[in-house]
Amino acid sequence: MVDTIYVEDEIIGTKKAQEIISKFRHAKVTSIKRFGEVFNPSNQNFRIQKTNPALILAKKQKGFVLDAPKGFGIGDQNNYYFSHMYNCLYDCSYCFLQGMYNSANYLVFVNFHDYQNEIEKTIRRHKEKKMTFFTGYDCDSLAMEPITNFINDFIPFFSLYKKALFEIRTKSINNTVFRKHDPLANCIVAYSLMPEALAQILDKKAPSVSARIKNMKYLANKGWRIGLRFDPLIYCNNWKDQYAELFANIFKEIKEENIHSVSFGSLRFPKSFFNKLLQYYPNSEELSFLRSNDKGIISYDPSIENEMNEYCRSELMKYSDARKFFSCG
Amino acid sequence: MIEKNFEGVSVRWVIALKGEAEEIIKNYAMKRVATRPFPVYKNKDIDMWLILSGIGQLNAVAATTYLHVKSDASYNTIWINFGIGGSRNFKVGELIQIDKITSSDFQDNYYPSPSAFKNNNIERCNLITVNKPEKLFENDGVYDMEGYGFFSFAKKIAPYELVSVLKIISDIPGTDLSKIDKHRVEILVSKQIQFIEKVLENLLALQKILILQLRDPKYFDEICLQKKFTFSQKVTLRKYLTQWQARFPLRNPFDEISQKMTASQILKKFSDNLLR
Repeated sequence: MVDTIYVEDEIIGTKKAQEIISKFRHAKVTSIKRFGEVFNPSNQNFRIQKTNPALILAKKQKGFVLDAPKGFGIGDQNNYYFSHMYNCLYDCSYCFLQGMYNSANYLVFVNFHDYQNEIEKTIRRHKEKKMTFFTGYDCDSLAMEPITNFINDFIPFFSLYKKALFEIRTKSINNTVFRKHDPLANCIVAYSLMPEALAQILDKKAPSVSARIKNMKYLANKGWRIGLRFDPLIYCNNWKDQYAELFANIFKEIKEENIHSVSFGSLRFPKSFFNKLLQYYPNSEELSFLRSNDKGIISYDPSIENEMNEYCRSELMKYSDARKFFSCG
Repeated sequence: MIEKNFEGVSVRWVIALKGEAEEIIKNYAMKRVATRPFPVYKNKDIDMWLILSGIGQLNAVAATTYLHVKSDASYNTIWINFGIGGSRNFKVGELIQIDKITSSDFQDNYYPSPSAFKNNNIERCNLITVNKPEKLFENDGVYDMEGYGFFSFAKKIAPYELVSVLKIISDIPGTDLSKIDKHRVEILVSKQIQFIEKVLENLLALQKILILQLRDPKYFDEICLQKKFTFSQKVTLRKYLTQWQARFPLRNPFDEISQKMTASQILKKFSDNLLR
């Protein structure tokens, strides 16, 4: 899988770095001063790198916990996100990471303790408020779990802070870590979902939607709380039927009481990200419906966006309490 | 061998000395097209050029710059620095693909992309570029006198993924440098030529991905010839035509345009059609 590992000199001797390196016995390990030497040069091509991504192990120096964008959340007053990893094992056509980063290499920050210290401080600073910590937005944490053991480290940590919600956003069907731990009431396993036919075209290398639903059912039955994330909603021919069928399939398998929250938001990008994506996928019909709005964001026409949001909301209300619905946009 | 029919193949070799280049020149049927300031060779059928830079980093940078201009190399050109080097870690004759480039003079290091190493089973190692022939080999790695200079410029004119440094080990601790002559180097290179070809094939596959990304959508040039579009209108037109191709592969965008329409009206027409 990975044949090249770059490791910052500063962390090469750490237990976590050595643990990860030991999982790739045939990889060539190259020492670097800072991850930016490999990850940041501007003249790199994301799509070409995706043919053979390297793994970069580094130490995060600052910015461990960041405020979530305004309006983003699943019901709590304060929302934060943190990223121990940039880039993803999967290769979804609409993924904003390929517009955001110059490099497709997997960058893992191994100093998990520093993240935990910062999260702890944030929780203490706002101890009166309810808060959610999101992970899995700059990577798929669960998909990389066999390599990083990130969730295995963070479930016990969040078990100490019951008031803080911990959301793991994923498409992975790896459930080993959830079998190892007792279900945690303040942990949400949030699945990104879209109609199967669309996922077959767009969610390359990711598990099928039916496999994701099967895994959600398994986790729900074990007592884990599930999040449903229809983000992005994708406009295409026949989209109403496709989304109606998807919702029906999900709720046929999973009891509503196991669902913590449902959120949706239509496809959108900053302009510069979109231009890169269009270059990478010139034949993508799904990208052909997007337009630039006056705020410099590329999105669907408002009429499409509203129609999709309203339709999905009303369809979902057939199965779930609308108080669990949140917008990602 | 190189697929001659594929539009966009573009390769540049930067090699210090004739002895190192001889087998490459022969293998890819290149003929001399210039002598000064640097000897330059070229294949007559495909866009492949080779320059003899002479020894040292300054020469490497100057020759790369010169070849870039002289051969009108596009952004998606493959650039390869090939030559001999010394090392305490390998045997004489081994071919090494460089994965980290350092210099005795500069702090910054460079890292050629792993995409270029995929599936070729060629040994990889770091390169240390120095200013005079190395005899002691105090550090692990391959020593040369051009790689760093070459890469520092080539990465500015081509994507990282298409810039590669290849070295054949010619000397190890104890080697008498006076005995490394042109003939001996040619023999070393000839023994590795099939693996050098393999590296190039891999780079060509990456180049193909890039060319497909950078290609203008169908009818772009024709429509631009019809009306005067500003730069930003051309950007929008390119975007709309790309989207058009994906959405209406059987509809010719030309049929949507009438002679009387202005550039803005053409863009509006495409935008309206693409809305749903």
